[in-house]
Amino acid sequence: MSDASVGVQRTVAPEVALPSPGRWIRDNLFSSITNSVQTVVFTVILLGLLRWALGLVFAEDTDWTAVATNMRLLFTYNYPTAQYGRIWVATGTVLAAVGASCGAWNINPGMTVRRLSVSGTGTGAFLLVIGVITPASTPSSIRTWIVIIGTALVLISLTALRIVDKPHRRSVSFASLLVTFGVAVVAFLWLFPFGNYGFTQGAVYAEPGLVAESTRVPWTVLMAIVVSAFFLGRETVRRLGEAGGLIRRSLTVFWVVGPLFLVFLVLRDPAFDMGYVLRVDIPIAAGFVLAGAVLISLLGQPARAELARIVGAVLAAGAVFNWMAGFMGWYPMLQKVRISFALLALLVLLLPTLAGERAARLRLMGLWAVAMVIFHWLITGMNTPSTLEIAAPPFLGGFVLTVTIAYYVMLASFPVGVLLALARTSKLPIFRVLATGYIEVIRGVPLITVLFFFSIMLPLFLPRGMGISDLAAVFAGYAVFSAAYMAENIRGGLQSVRHGQFEAADALGLTTVQRTGLIVLPQALRVSIPNLVGQAIATFKETSLIAIVGGFDLLRIANATIPNQPDFLGQKRPGLLFISLIYFVFAYSMSRASQNLETRLGSARA
Amino acid sequence: MSIADRALTSEMASRPDMIQCRGVKKWFGDFQALCGVDLTVKEREVMVVLGPSGSGKSTLIRCINRLEVHQEGQIVVDGVELTNDLRNIEKIRSEVGMVFQLFNLFPHLSVLDNVTLAPIWVRKQPKAQAEIRAMELLERVGIPEQAAKFPGQLSGGQQQRVAIARSLAMNPKIMLFDEPTSALDPEMISEVLDVMKALAADGMTMIVVTHEMGFAREVADRLVFMEAGDVVEVGTPETFFTNPTEERTKLFLSQIL
Repeated sequence: MSDASVGVQRTVAPEVALPSPGRWIRDNLFSSITNSVQTVVFTVILLGLLRWALGLVFAEDTDWTAVATNMRLLFTYNYPTAQYGRIWVATGTVLAAVGASCGAWNINPGMTVRRLSVSGTGTGAFLLVIGVITPASTPSSIRTWIVIIGTALVLISLTALRIVDKPHRRSVSFASLLVTFGVAVVAFLWLFPFGNYGFTQGAVYAEPGLVAESTRVPWTVLMAIVVSAFFLGRETVRRLGEAGGLIRRSLTVFWVVGPLFLVFLVLRDPAFDMGYVLRVDIPIAAGFVLAGAVLISLLGQPARAELARIVGAVLAAGAVFNWMAGFMGWYPMLQKVRISFALLALLVLLLPTLAGERAARLRLMGLWAVAMVIFHWLITGMNTPSTLEIAAPPFLGGFVLTVTIAYYVMLASFPVGVLLALARTSKLPIFRVLATGYIEVIRGVPLITVLFFFSIMLPLFLPRGMGISDLAAVFAGYAVFSAAYMAENIRGGLQSVRHGQFEAADALGLTTVQRTGLIVLPQALRVSIPNLVGQAIATFKETSLIAIVGGFDLLRIANATIPNQPDFLGQKRPGLLFISLIYFVFAYSMSRASQNLETRLGSARA
Repeated sequence: MSIADRALTSEMASRPDMIQCRGVKKWFGDFQALCGVDLTVKEREVMVVLGPSGSGKSTLIRCINRLEVHQEGQIVVDGVELTNDLRNIEKIRSEVGMVFQLFNLFPHLSVLDNVTLAPIWVRKQPKAQAEIRAMELLERVGIPEQAAKFPGQLSGGQQQRVAIARSLAMNPKIMLFDEPTSALDPEMISEVLDVMKALAADGMTMIVVTHEMGFAREVADRLVFMEAGDVVEVGTPETFFTNPTEERTKLFLSQIL
């Protein structure tokens, strides 16, 4: 049984030496006549394409000042300059959460020195090629810089390969990669003060240092925040052990509600009427906190599970009636009270599954109180007028709008998609029919139709006194659309869970809800990750359709706003190329992150 | 004496019934898997079910915790009859442990979490208490050092022992074993059988579907031979192996021994 096989000498696998570049080229590119011909032909084609693309970038009629001047517009649309500190606070919070999450979950995509050097050599060589084949219209200073950086990369990488002993065994940690990246960004901003563009009598002039000066201090602080948040998250979780779970849970909560807080309370800065808040909002929230606590303590005991189911059903019926009354306009009631009431009904319905001994009940009460406070605070903030002085109404635009919509569409359509997938695979015909109908109808309609319906038609159908903002309408339509696709992706994962898992869960006496939540879904979602990330990428890119229904997202700014500015009439190309780069960087990062996630989850299983 | 109570010693006959099957019939489509099975299992009895594949052994024990639904007849487990009433089913399932041929451990949970899951969520035990109990059970099946690993990192024998610990964590009154060693490499069979023997010695009521004749002879109080959905013969290990009454039993034994 023991693994130590007596008498057998175990040896380390022999080292595979990295072939020299010349050797590698001979082995892989010119190994035979056919191979050589293919290499030459495709190299020529690729170089031709590259030169054509470079021609677009460096053409004489491509005015890059159109992008450089409109950076603020592209990223934050017409957010007031005086309030720009809010943007930095929001960005800083998100970046701190990113750093802390990487640290807390020990996301450590380190690289071996060999891989780093090989990709460095490749990138450097590519830059050299670009430097050589750029069209004549390229400014010579840019060409010189490309060649210098390319040569430096190649030289540094090759030297690293030579100097470092056993480069494929030496790993460069994620932390040092992160620090290097941060230092590089900061150094660039401080050392190369690129200019801000202005106009006098129609002629562009550059004022040295303005852009760098206004952004280099915030970016230095932000990079320091990311790096220190990473180490802070990693060390606290490592030191605290068991309690580290609390930090992970808080970070998870942040990722669900944090961005909403940042958008509606930090960026939008509502002007709270404190008298009204004290008189109305706080009593309502406190009432629901209290009601939830009483119901949990009364119905949460395992012996009262049956009663809890009955009370839950009654409350749910009440909540449905409440909504109908809202649509019919029978009696006035604050929207948030209706939603809170529905949440209360859901809580009671889930009590038999969630509650148990005293400690579990107390924990649930705490959770409910926190959830209610957050919910009411947010809703009140959203319903309060903004203090921002913005000429045109949308306070969100540009990159911020794209990211916010994409993030929340994914977040909102995820639970809906899970429920739809479960309903579609349910044994109960009514759920199955409803879910299948929903999915097939939505999948049969183009996204743009759904967006038009929600932004133009929906407000007409709503009862009097019930309004919906443009942003909310677009968001709702997109989430409804995305949920159908999400459901199909998750259904694929559900079908991959083996039948034995259901039987084992049943044999242990788990209820259907527990079986689904604890056994089936975790396994199904793991299988669905590649598809879900694919959908996330698609969602992120398709947010550009918001432009058609009136949102000022990246695409609309690049395609319509900038080309209509008197100084850049008709200049579409630089803007479109630039936003393509932004889309690519984010989509590619998501794709890499998903590969990383799959490896992590896969290694936990094997 | 009905076939269900045959071969009981007088001491055993005086014990209360844990499981009673009366005329249990089950069809899969047109195929009849169980043709009116009568069987009684007494408290602390170890019953081993033998028979060729397709004889309905697995179907029978899967009916006892309602993983399969019988269409006719009656099954009473610990005084509760199995009907469509959901509460009865949940109650019986939490009293009856089951060990599967393919282990069916939860691959996304660590060994410890596999064992504590049901006590925490079904019995509503505090986590700390459930973990102490789980470690005791892992000790008992001989693999406490594997608690933090994931099922995929264990050998088949170890996985099956975790599966046994997982069932025991619910403090079941009855344990059902559905060919627990059939998917194991030969050198791992004995480690699982040893655990089962210890369990039998502790007085657990067990129904074991198996092809391990050595185990059957050593541990079983009674042996049941099934063929084509019917109980053919019930006997003590001595009479069953040395002097079976039915022709079909003799034929089966001559093929496997």
